Amino acid sequence: MRHGKYRFIVGFLVPPLLLYGIFVLSPYAQTFYIALTDWRGLSAELNFIGLENFAELVRDGAFWNALRHNGLLLVIVPAVTIALALFFASMLNLGGRRGGSAVQGVRGAEFYKVVYFFPQVLSIAVIAILWQFVYNPRSGLLNGVLDVLGLGFLRATWLGDPSLALWAVMAVLVWSGVGFYVVLFNAAIQAIPRDLFEAALLDGAGRLATFRRVTLPLLWDSVQVAFVYLGIIALDAFALVQIMTFGPGGPDDSTMVTGLYLYKNAFEYARFGYATAIGVAMFFLTLSLAVLTLRVTRRERVEY
Amino acid sequence: MAQIVLDSVDKVFPGGVTAVDNLSLGINDGEFMVFVGPSGCGKSTALRMIAGLEDISRGAITIGERVVNDLPPKDRDIAMVFQNYALYPHMTVEQNLAFGLQLRKMPKSEIKRRVGEAAKMLGLEQYLGRKPAALSGGQRQRVAMGRAIVREPQAFLMDEPLSNLDAKLRVSMRASLAQLHERLGVTTVYVTHDQIEAMTLGDRVAVLREGKLQQVDTPQNLFDSPVNLFVAGFIGSPAMNFVEAELVREDGPAVAFAGQKLPVPEESITAKEGLDSYFGRRVIVGIRPSDFEDGTLADSGWARMSVTADVTEELGSEINVIFMIDAPPVEHKDTSDLAHDVADEEEAAIPLAGNQSIWTARVNARSRVRPGERINLAVDTRNLHFFDTDSGLAIGHPEAAQVAAAATAEA
Repeated sequence: MRHGKYRFIVGFLVPPLLLYGIFVLSPYAQTFYIALTDWRGLSAELNFIGLENFAELVRDGAFWNALRHNGLLLVIVPAVTIALALFFASMLNLGGRRGGSAVQGVRGAEFYKVVYFFPQVLSIAVIAILWQFVYNPRSGLLNGVLDVLGLGFLRATWLGDPSLALWAVMAVLVWSGVGFYVVLFNAAIQAIPRDLFEAALLDGAGRLATFRRVTLPLLWDSVQVAFVYLGIIALDAFALVQIMTFGPGGPDDSTMVTGLYLYKNAFEYARFGYATAIGVAMFFLTLSLAVLTLRVTRRERVEY
Repeated sequence: MAQIVLDSVDKVFPGGVTAVDNLSLGINDGEFMVFVGPSGCGKSTALRMIAGLEDISRGAITIGERVVNDLPPKDRDIAMVFQNYALYPHMTVEQNLAFGLQLRKMPKSEIKRRVGEAAKMLGLEQYLGRKPAALSGGQRQRVAMGRAIVREPQAFLMDEPLSNLDAKLRVSMRASLAQLHERLGVTTVYVTHDQIEAMTLGDRVAVLREGKLQQVDTPQNLFDSPVNLFVAGFIGSPAMNFVEAELVREDGPAVAFAGQKLPVPEESITAKEGLDSYFGRRVIVGIRPSDFEDGTLADSGWARMSVTADVTEELGSEINVIFMIDAPPVEHKDTSDLAHDVADEEEAAIPLAGNQSIWTARVNARSRVRPGERINLAVDTRNLHFFDTDSGLAIGHPEAAQVAAAATAEA
């Protein structure tokens, strides 16, 4: 019987572990190996070349250029997205002051919640194409609106100007991300007992003080999670750049991100070994970012 | 410190529910005013309007000399203690106490002094570095009190501050609250649904029902001369006994009900203006359980009635004798509101035994009464209460006319 029990347990454990091993662990292991080769992806022929790929990576200006763009995204996209989402979420719950109770959202809060969430239901491909139209220099919505507002001098070839293209991409990343975090923070705010905000009001806290001293500290767990998610998105951004920009990654590599550089190395230059090395570098970068974010932002848990 | 005046205040919520209806009330400087009433009577809403957490639909609220209708809560110079304490969970006790002062840009030394003083007064000194989660219910309650005290406001507003404590702690916190008020002398408005809290703490008690003020007076006056059936039934525990009786004059004035006849002293008739016009008519008679006594232990001058004790609750210092009166329970809007409230808050009312009313008499613990036995009860008939069968108002009560006028104005 004892023997049968173990067989029973093992019988259940083996299939999932096997699947995990084959489809998750072994690709990782293979990746680490391929990164040490000069495999071109077209034939089974490959030579072990040690850390040569990584040495080349360090000297590769194009890689550093792409990484710099990711760095910029990493600095700006999470911060702006979270700031906007926090602002919207607190206005939706606490911004209103007129008519009825002292602590309530702005008028039409329910409607805005739905509207903010819209971008979230669109696939990234649709979003990219949509914004291509918006950014179109001749018939695009953005330039059209600027004209109507009498701001025609601000017209630009948004995706065609190397100094603007990355910012245009960033704006779309923020636009498509904010809604989800509004919903996330909204739920977190609603979990805070209402009378805390009333107490803050009686203590003399205005909106800003309430936000800074009460709302934000109580939302910190959610903000932390948001930072990690958005950090990972900022280090990727491949799909949006690939579909939306010229080149893609252009003009003049001004929107090149590491994900796209990896893709080009693999599928355009047929340098799978080198591309894999980029992947490995990104793996460690993303991992350390997540650990670092959680470490740096760690605070004592709030208990009610 | 300041007086608070509510002048014909209404609160109508979006959707048309009237929570507070034409509430006029003056709260004197330094007074401890208690708002009491069953759940949903508008007492908390009234408090929140004074605090500025709810808009005032009509009327005016004055704190000190200022009409505060359009003043935001922080400028009203009041502090509030919430039912769930509403302590900031991410701040230590010290930070919780200091928060309101910091926002008012008070100098650091002054903040330190006030926080220290309040902590000492409330016995919180050793907990200053702790977060609220690490405190017991009673300690949190004291921190909430401290947060109000350090502000040194013109008035304290308290919204059922003791209702989350266990029974024993509630009694001791009640005593400390009373002491604190004695010491600080700050005008206090206190909301509770617990009439014992109301009676023990209040300088005056305002009884509310469905947003309307029923009666406001000292606890003793509310107990001795309630203005209507509702107040009579709400104040006092166990509740007042009611029966519909006939007021007759034979040898002398008397009330007759359910085969019983209780003589009424002549001076009660003359003291209650208009009661003499009820002779030969039906009235609702109310008798406090405490106006009963075991016949063998009572003053020989008291009237007697013989009943069968159904249940006896021996409380040590006294015995509650529960017995049946062979008369239908009084049916009036006032009493049904009360029954509804009891059914809400406790499990349910005792199932009514047919067409009989359940009465309670509180007798001396030396009484030998046992369940199922006959007992000869003495009644202090000088304290009988008489109510009109239609309006439910106390007959001859000086405020009854006003309440009646307000009621008809409403209709």
